Amino acid sequence: MSSTPHPEISAQSSPDSAWPYITRRRFLGVMGGAATALIFSQKPDIPLLTSEMAPAYEGHRPPTQYEVVHTLCEQCVWRCGVRAKVKDGRVFKLDGNPHHPHAKGKLCPRGQAGIATLYDPDRLQYPLIRAGERGGGKWKRVSWEDALDYVASRMLEIKEKYGPEAMIFSTTHNLIQTQFENLLKAYGSPNYGTQRSLCFNAMILSNLMTYGLEEPGRDYSSAQYIILTGRNLMEAISNSETQDLVAAIARGAKVVMLDPRFTKTAAKASEWLPIKPGTDLAFHLALIHEIIENEMYDEEFVQNYTVGFDELKSAVSGYTPEWAASKCEIPADAIRRIAREFALAAPHAFAHPNWRTSNFLNSFQTERAIAILNALVGNWNQPGGLVGGGGGEGEGLGTIPQPPYPRVSALRLDGVPWKYPLVPFKLGVFQELRDNILRGDPYQAKGWFIYRQNPLNSLPERRKTIEAFSKLEFIVTIDISMNDTAWFSDVVLPEATYLERYDPLAVVGDSVFIRQPVVAPMYESKPGLWIFKELGERLGLGDYFQYQDEEDYLRKQLEPLGVTLEELKELGHFPMPRGESAAGEEETPALSWNTPSGKVELASEVLRNSEFPPTPIWEEPPAAPADQFYLLTGKVAQHTQFATQNNWLLHERVPDNPLWIHPDPARDRGIESGDEVWVESPGGRVKTVALVTERIRPDCVYMTPGFGKVSKGMSLAYRAGVSDSDLHLSFIDEISGSQALSQTTVTVTKA
Amino acid sequence: MTTNLKGMLTHIEPPKPNPQAGRRWAFVIEPDRCIDCEACMVACSVENQVPVGHHRNWIAHREKGKFPYLSLHFEPENCHHCSNPPCEMVCPTGATFRREDGLVLINYDDCIGCRYCMMACPYDARYFDEDRGVVDKCTFCVHRLDAGQPPACVETCIGGARHFGDINDPESEVAKLLARHEVYVRYAEAGTGPAIFYIMD
Ligand code: SF4
Ligand code: SF4
Ligand code: SF4
Repeated sequence: MSSTPHPEISAQSSPDSAWPYITRRRFLGVMGGAATALIFSQKPDIPLLTSEMAPAYEGHRPPTQYEVVHTLCEQCVWRCGVRAKVKDGRVFKLDGNPHHPHAKGKLCPRGQAGIATLYDPDRLQYPLIRAGERGGGKWKRVSWEDALDYVASRMLEIKEKYGPEAMIFSTTHNLIQTQFENLLKAYGSPNYGTQRSLCFNAMILSNLMTYGLEEPGRDYSSAQYIILTGRNLMEAISNSETQDLVAAIARGAKVVMLDPRFTKTAAKASEWLPIKPGTDLAFHLALIHEIIENEMYDEEFVQNYTVGFDELKSAVSGYTPEWAASKCEIPADAIRRIAREFALAAPHAFAHPNWRTSNFLNSFQTERAIAILNALVGNWNQPGGLVGGGGGEGEGLGTIPQPPYPRVSALRLDGVPWKYPLVPFKLGVFQELRDNILRGDPYQAKGWFIYRQNPLNSLPERRKTIEAFSKLEFIVTIDISMNDTAWFSDVVLPEATYLERYDPLAVVGDSVFIRQPVVAPMYESKPGLWIFKELGERLGLGDYFQYQDEEDYLRKQLEPLGVTLEELKELGHFPMPRGESAAGEEETPALSWNTPSGKVELASEVLRNSEFPPTPIWEEPPAAPADQFYLLTGKVAQHTQFATQNNWLLHERVPDNPLWIHPDPARDRGIESGDEVWVESPGGRVKTVALVTERIRPDCVYMTPGFGKVSKGMSLAYRAGVSDSDLHLSFIDEISGSQALSQTTVTVTKA
Repeated sequence: MTTNLKGMLTHIEPPKPNPQAGRRWAFVIEPDRCIDCEACMVACSVENQVPVGHHRNWIAHREKGKFPYLSLHFEPENCHHCSNPPCEMVCPTGATFRREDGLVLINYDDCIGCRYCMMACPYDARYFDEDRGVVDKCTFCVHRLDAGQPPACVETCIGGARHFGDINDPESEVAKLLARHEVYVRYAEAGTGPAIFYIMD
């Protein structure tokens, strides 16, 4: 046996080897080379992955000398601060920025996998114009000049022939939303589609009706009791909030988790209540009933700071724990005990307002009940309670001059406000929008401008969405990948990823943070700020985009702050100037609310005036027919909605989405784990693989969304798993416009 | 049901800090704080350029009970950097070696890819890197330690479950954690002297 001396391992490290750590050979070999070859053979004008993108694998030691660039993550919407390690123009590692309140020095699995978004060999590289039929996968590569000219000419043509309202604009929550909205308002269309009605409309509207703000914060630092109504923070990760919840549990806070599934959050909670789908409302109504009945509410707070208590009291008088138990299948004693524990722990206690609350048509009432439950125990701005206040996203930053927007007189296709009087404009009702494209009602839409969004995956009833596309003359999609929506578009424009571009600045807490290019944009990809300006100018709307380039835009935003762009790029963040109340003064949170009464509204006149129940009332959810299951969806920690399934690092962790089913119904159907099964709803049917598990109620099945891509431009995600959008039906809550994603029931049979 | 669980945890007397003995790098893990998000796995893959299909760290699951009486625990793991590493004992070329600070590392130039060590490791911590023709595994991110940074998985651990440091330094976070809690290790009976300590109360 030879014995070589090994004083320090670093001495024998190979020379610095930056990105990437897999060879192209392995990539193709291990992960579906056949599929990759297929796509590229269908896109002959797009050059294959070049060797400079993936040089041969030479060693395994990361560089020891490198540059650190501060930026913001965009693997989800939480926008954690990132420290990117760069060597020779390549990023080789992303670390969390300890100074960013959303990251606290850590990145979640998606954030850690950001480089596989940047270096995804399937990324869009050049502007493309459809060459064959829609969805046929034949594209012509064009220059940006030609692509933008073409998009502008089609948009102008639609505007002239049918009016600006015939053009729909849609996008999902992002830092450049102000400029996106700028484009749509300047163009003059009222039709703005966001993901929100598929997500949190019910939560936002209930808080607006109760507190006059969209979403109260939560103080985990001294919370003693937390009720989570399906908020699966351990899997639907919001980095800092997830960290806070883990810390609260470690500190000994009691966490009650309501969920039909034994999620990883349920596993960490002190108590898991496998509630019957659609009945969380009954549970919360009974908590309110108990707290009022036994006078466990905060009398002073209720008297001084709320309106409608007496009305609420009589409205909930019938909602006893026994009544609720018959609905939600949680024992009355447990409900009684939890009401008592919650009230005793208050004000250091909160019922979480949740996030994606598009579950049942009664979800708005559920969210109202939760908002009211919090108000009753007086946890507003108390340690361990709900946190009010907080400024808008761009507050305090410099603005760019622009002319006023044209007046819009056309109705919105999504029924806001003519059908949904209370839904705020910026939330909208996305399902209704799609359905009205199909119906041509109240007028026929002709074009759709889609930016960083994937309605073909996110909207229920994918079939309908594809049909709606067929009613349109022109569809343009701007994205970083050939997602399903891009695949069915007429023009596809490649945006630079978040690691290659500037976006408008982000104010978080008391600092401003920058997203900046960590490396130069690859291929011909371009930042959104550039694309909107170029397009705006071609549309004759140049006055709305009065900045030279992205850096100039940021410089104008920084003007009031006393920091240069160069300094901010270096630092990554900079303190915002403090308001009048600064220096030394004790900050007392104001006890006033932006509601019509200026108080917390237990009974709401706004709801009453719109002929909706002013206090939360029970609405019976539809029961699953015998032999059918509620179809549940929910996130896994390793993916973000519909966006990350082709990221090879995340695909490696979670490659598909098997159907969870409880052993009893599985046995009845002769189904074992790994078996192929048919899942069918009136909306469609899919063949998938079963995962038999105790971790779900026998009347439910579950799959995580985002899989089952039909675009052949995503070689890993193409046909991996199935899409819930093939099964979900469209249900719209008339108050909040929220989709009811758990209201679809399905049959399951062995394939 | 348990999945990918490699041996049970056994209760042990916690090691006492011994400053005279020099540095002993070790992990202290709080399984109760692990949420199975796998940020540590992705971070490791990126940091150490681990080939797709292999990994150097993982989360063992321990699932028990029947609906609705269920429990599910996560136990983060990686190479235990054993005090008596069987992988080192079987290595015919001396490629696998143990440093004084406890790190068990591989000299890749000397590794002939015989994979005896893979069979010897009771924790299944090693993999064969087909591209390079050598065996590889967790290094406790030795290059980051050299640069004064914690291992990548520790730094990004969302649950704050993974702790790292010198257990011979009584002032270190890990030594303090060991002093305050019940301590367990995996496969104590194998006599490997693992340096991943699990703490639970
Ligand atoms: S939570 Fe994860 S994906 Fe979202 S911004 Fe933070 S690190 Fe990125
Ligand atoms: S865990 Fe396995 S590979 Fe690591 S030192 Fe111990 S025996 Fe060797
Ligand atoms: S990062 Fe931490 S919490 Fe997440 S799986 Fe790894 S050990 Fe567990």
